[in-house]
Amino acid sequence: MRSGIARGQGLATAIMVVPATVLYAVMLVVPVGLAFYLSLTDWDGFSANPAVVGLDNYGRLLGDPELRRAALVTLLVAGAGTAGLNLLGLGFALLVNGRSRANTFFRMVLFYPHVLSALVVGFLWSAILGTTGAVNSFITQRGGEVLPFLSDPAWATVTMIAVLVWAGFGVNVVLYLAGLQAVPHSLIEAAQIDGATRWQTFRNVTLPALGPSVTVNVVLSLVTLLKTYDLVVSLTAGGPAGQTQTVAYLILWNSFHDARLGFGSAQSVVLMVVTAALAFVVTRLRRRGETAAHQ
Amino acid sequence: MRRYARLGFLAATTLFMLVPLYVLVVNAFKPQQEILASPFGLPLDGLTFEYLAKALDNPQFDIFRGYAVTLLFVVSVNVLSVVLAGPAAYVIARSPKRRFRVLMLFFLAGTFIPSQVLVIPVVYVLKTLGLMGTIRGFVLFETVLTLPFSIFLYAGYISTIPATLDQAANVDGAGRLRTFWRIIFPLMRPVVATMVILNTFSVWNDFVNPQIILGPGSGLYTVTTGVYAAVSQYSTDYTVVFPTLLLAIAPLLVFFVIMQRHIISGLTAGATKG
Repeated sequence: MRSGIARGQGLATAIMVVPATVLYAVMLVVPVGLAFYLSLTDWDGFSANPAVVGLDNYGRLLGDPELRRAALVTLLVAGAGTAGLNLLGLGFALLVNGRSRANTFFRMVLFYPHVLSALVVGFLWSAILGTTGAVNSFITQRGGEVLPFLSDPAWATVTMIAVLVWAGFGVNVVLYLAGLQAVPHSLIEAAQIDGATRWQTFRNVTLPALGPSVTVNVVLSLVTLLKTYDLVVSLTAGGPAGQTQTVAYLILWNSFHDARLGFGSAQSVVLMVVTAALAFVVTRLRRRGETAAHQ
Repeated sequence: MRRYARLGFLAATTLFMLVPLYVLVVNAFKPQQEILASPFGLPLDGLTFEYLAKALDNPQFDIFRGYAVTLLFVVSVNVLSVVLAGPAAYVIARSPKRRFRVLMLFFLAGTFIPSQVLVIPVVYVLKTLGLMGTIRGFVLFETVLTLPFSIFLYAGYISTIPATLDQAANVDGAGRLRTFWRIIFPLMRPVVATMVILNTFSVWNDFVNPQIILGPGSGLYTVTTGVYAAVSQYSTDYTVVFPTLLLAIAPLLVFFVIMQRHIISGLTAGATKG
């Protein structure tokens, strides 16, 4: 009787846990392992038995000038983008901190682009900044020269970073606002009673207390920007002349346009490792910085 | 003085944030010449619905079908996700056994894997299972992507619900399944709402996964892949671009404005999942 109930409970537990676990294992854990395996093959996406080619894909990856350029663009986007997202995120969080109807409205306005898909954001900005786009039509009608927002490689890279920041910093604002709630008000009051200026209070009280928030925001921005793909497709299509291709863009292009999924897998394994390493290093550096600040 | 400087600055920023949306809306109602001649002007003399109607009737991308397909995906993924993640999270949260703590870590590890890295090997898995290019395959994969964070969030929430509730139900003869669905699940409304909002946006806005798993050959377009099919080749024909983009974002923007408080907190919770 007793064991009958226990067996029934065991069955119920299995019914509750097994489906999620199996599906997760098949479609997430197995693929992560497969990514490593496929990176050692010449899989084209169709053949059932891809040939194992060892480390060839990794060797090719080192000598690929396209990939080197894409890596540079990606690091630039991630670096400058992270700086932009966090400076604007923290700055605006300080500006719209505090309960009021106006602040709720401002937060909504800063946040709304995040709700749109990156694909739509890219098409929209390309209609605004393209050669015949809204801004250039406006300029040329007043006798000005066309500005190459998307047609010059350097301009296009900067434009892409700017659009990424425009579309994303609202999230950082909200995350920093959450962090600001955790800063003890008594500390800020104490600083003000001691005659600290606004800047001194921010620099010596608010910012150190925001430490963990800064770490989360920086790591998050970095990880998100390192896999920039949708916006490249819609804003520049990788152009002009492939100069704004990111690593994620090349991975999918090589894999599905050129049918070189083995090579694409090698690139995605490297991207995954580099992303994890960067996130780890930033977290460690921030932690060391925080302990140093406390001494 | 300082107060006015702050408000002035925020007003200017608001303008800058909203100009793209303004350009999108006004130009959806203008012919090409007028868009080129006065891209920022209101279409006061020639407000036309011609191009919006054309976008609704685009042979490349049937937007109503796009809404329907996307909505089907959104609903299926949300339902499956709750049905799978809820009970699993309950067992994990309520059991002191070591193996369930390990299981939690196993799921947690998944929150760190970017889906871009997965898409190539998932194609391999789906082909092996005969699910490549099918709605089932796509919905299952999108659901799996939601599982790690859902289970993490649900388990955290369930552990704040007093276990005496379960014991009372148990005494009354309810089994584990019944206890979860009848007693615990109704109490999880806020956290389930957060996850539903999160999943709705991520499925609606996803581009890579539907593009690759469903493929252009299947004829199945979500709103996002449909926009790509409709706009990418005509990116300088603004009478196609603006109305199509407007139709693509309108439902989400309305949803956002109505639910903005919940959405901002929900998406913030999601953003921190890394």
